[in-house]
Amino acid sequence: MRYWLTRLGTSVLLLLTVSALAFGAMNILGDPLFNILGPVALDVDNPESVELIQAAEEQYNLDDPLPIRWALWLGDFVTGDFGVQFSEDGEPPVRDLISERLPRTLQLLVMAQVLAALIAIPWALWTASRPNSKVDRASTITSFLFIAIPSFALAVMLKWALSIKLSIFPLAYVTNDTFWERSFQMLLPAITLALPAAAIYQRLLRTDLITTLQEDFILTARSKGVSRRSVLFKHALRSSLFSFVTIFAINTGALIGGALVVEQIFLIPGLGRAIVEAILREDFPVVLAIVMIIAFAFVILNLIVDLIYSLIDPRVRSS
Amino acid sequence: MTSRETGSVQISRAEATEPLLVVDNLSTHFPTERGVVRAVDGVSLSIKRGESLGIVGESGSGKTVLSRSIMGLLPAAAIRSGSVRFAGTEILDLPAKRMRHLWGAEMAMVFQNPLNSLNPLMKIGKQITEPLKLHLNMNRSHAKATAVRLLKDVHIPEAEQRLNQYPHELSGGMRQRVMIAIALACGPTVLFADEPTTALDVTVQSQILDVINEQRTDRNMSVILVTHDLGVVAGHTDHVAVMYGGKLVERAPTRTLFANMKMPYTKSLMRSIPKLDNPSHTRLATIPGRPPDLVNPPDGCRFAPRCAYAQDRCHDEEPPLAVADDPDHYYACWYPVGSPEFEARDAELRAAGDPRVDAGATI
Ligand SMILES: Nc1ncnc2c1ncn2[C@@H]1O[C@H](COP(=O)(O)OP(=O)(O)OP(=O)(O)O)[C@@H](O)[C@H]1O
Ligand SMILES: [Mg+2]
Repeated sequence: MRYWLTRLGTSVLLLLTVSALAFGAMNILGDPLFNILGPVALDVDNPESVELIQAAEEQYNLDDPLPIRWALWLGDFVTGDFGVQFSEDGEPPVRDLISERLPRTLQLLVMAQVLAALIAIPWALWTASRPNSKVDRASTITSFLFIAIPSFALAVMLKWALSIKLSIFPLAYVTNDTFWERSFQMLLPAITLALPAAAIYQRLLRTDLITTLQEDFILTARSKGVSRRSVLFKHALRSSLFSFVTIFAINTGALIGGALVVEQIFLIPGLGRAIVEAILREDFPVVLAIVMIIAFAFVILNLIVDLIYSLIDPRVRSS
Repeated sequence: MTSRETGSVQISRAEATEPLLVVDNLSTHFPTERGVVRAVDGVSLSIKRGESLGIVGESGSGKTVLSRSIMGLLPAAAIRSGSVRFAGTEILDLPAKRMRHLWGAEMAMVFQNPLNSLNPLMKIGKQITEPLKLHLNMNRSHAKATAVRLLKDVHIPEAEQRLNQYPHELSGGMRQRVMIAIALACGPTVLFADEPTTALDVTVQSQILDVINEQRTDRNMSVILVTHDLGVVAGHTDHVAVMYGGKLVERAPTRTLFANMKMPYTKSLMRSIPKLDNPSHTRLATIPGRPPDLVNPPDGCRFAPRCAYAQDRCHDEEPPLAVADDPDHYYACWYPVGSPEFEARDAELRAAGDPRVDAGATI
């Protein structure tokens, strides 16, 4: 119990630090007033502009010192008010933008990770049970190929081959389609993200499986007459999952980066495209909100990883 | 009642006219980058139902590889030749798929390190019931009841509660008892125990050996006990096989061996001999010099380069296994203890104060 309270405390501290750093960086590196008003912000001789400037400074608390502005923004943020977009007419509010875009990216990531795990686990079991065989060596080359290809190249290749030439997958993502139709439209983008991830997971899991298979308790299992298959699934796999689980969680961050590219190529209006657009426009509230969501996702993922550790290993539970 | 389907191998237990386990000219080679490691080289032995055989020898002499070769539990790279007959059936050439029906059911193994030999992520109960369900098709409740009985057999207190515990919640001695319970689960006819007590406290060691011995008598089971402990050899085995450099160099009923050992190697190995009726925990002595290279073994007797009694012939000609006065006593030595050549050399060495001759040790 105390352990989980400490965990909660450090998580909150982490989120606060991330928000302060992001908020500070955005305000120091850019000029918020200019980003809100555009060229008007520089036109200080024109009384009309001055009026606009004053209104904006009031609305966004721009005269207050940075820490106060941060505190004010944070107060709004935690109560669910993510502010308005700086650019254009400020519509839709950041919160609406996020709630429209987030589910798409989330679905893409979940599909990609599930696919990656579904590919990586059997692949690793298969190769680890025959290390250094021809099959294993061919698989090593394949996996390094997947890891080495940049995601945009893989995306373009898969889109060209499977969507354009063979027409197996739809070309476009249609926001008005039903959930299942949209899921199908997202399958190829998810595969694009999943393949390199699966290759990384397979490398790791294979190595750990090979180490586990040398353990004494595996010999015990064999000496009991347990079949090779059951030795792999019931005895070796579970003991070998630790690095896999860890990398699986950490790699989610890399997948968010990959999603930026993949959403762009497969024309999915997700969070990835939103953040690219927002950064180009220096649209602070949008960038901040997305940064915070990603940080929050990491905190949650970390907690889940810890939970999974303790589910896998009774020794973690008791310590 | 007398036979059991084990895959397509018919094992008849009662009518066997030959000993339960007959190993004939068994060799196990490992191809490595350095060359072929002859870890076991032409070993023959046999063991009757209910008997116990101790295997001793210095580290690296091939005891572990021998016991795993007999059982067929070797890395895929190992190459075996010769013959292993179990209850009249040749099992050396059986594929792992078929051997699986014997493993755990007819032959079981207890390993040296109880800390690593149990699956740390699986409850004790599940680890014991696994072979019961596998070989005896027991349902859950029957398997569970049997597991409790097994834990009681090996004297584990609060057996029911143990089923739901994980290995890390038990002491080393308790874990080794669990390992024994697992090995005994399906009533095997041969139990291999590879240094089952080496990793345990001295006080726990004899308890574990007593449990194995007790179960051997109760179940009329054969035991092959690999050990470094002279007390164990003296107190818990009917026969002893002595290994050196992958070869079996001396074999005899335990009493005969202690009373009349023939190999200078055996003699130096057992320098400190425990009293038969009061087995203490005495490690085998270490012998000066290096064990033989198993890739390029020396010509002649493999022990000759380290043997204080070696003569020219020992370096050139390999001694065959000869029969001693007791027809069950075999040894591979040209000039065994008690032979005129040996005695002459012994007197010489003693006069010169050679440290390889233990002044106090008279057999
Ligand atoms: N998989 C393997 N590949 C190559 N050589 C091996 C392999 N396993 C064992 N050996 C070699 O076989 C020889 C016999 O080893 P083994 O483990 O049987 O000795 P041991 O008598 O059990 O020794 P100890 O008393 O230390 O347990 C050693 O020289 C060892 O290096
Ligand atoms: Mg050994």
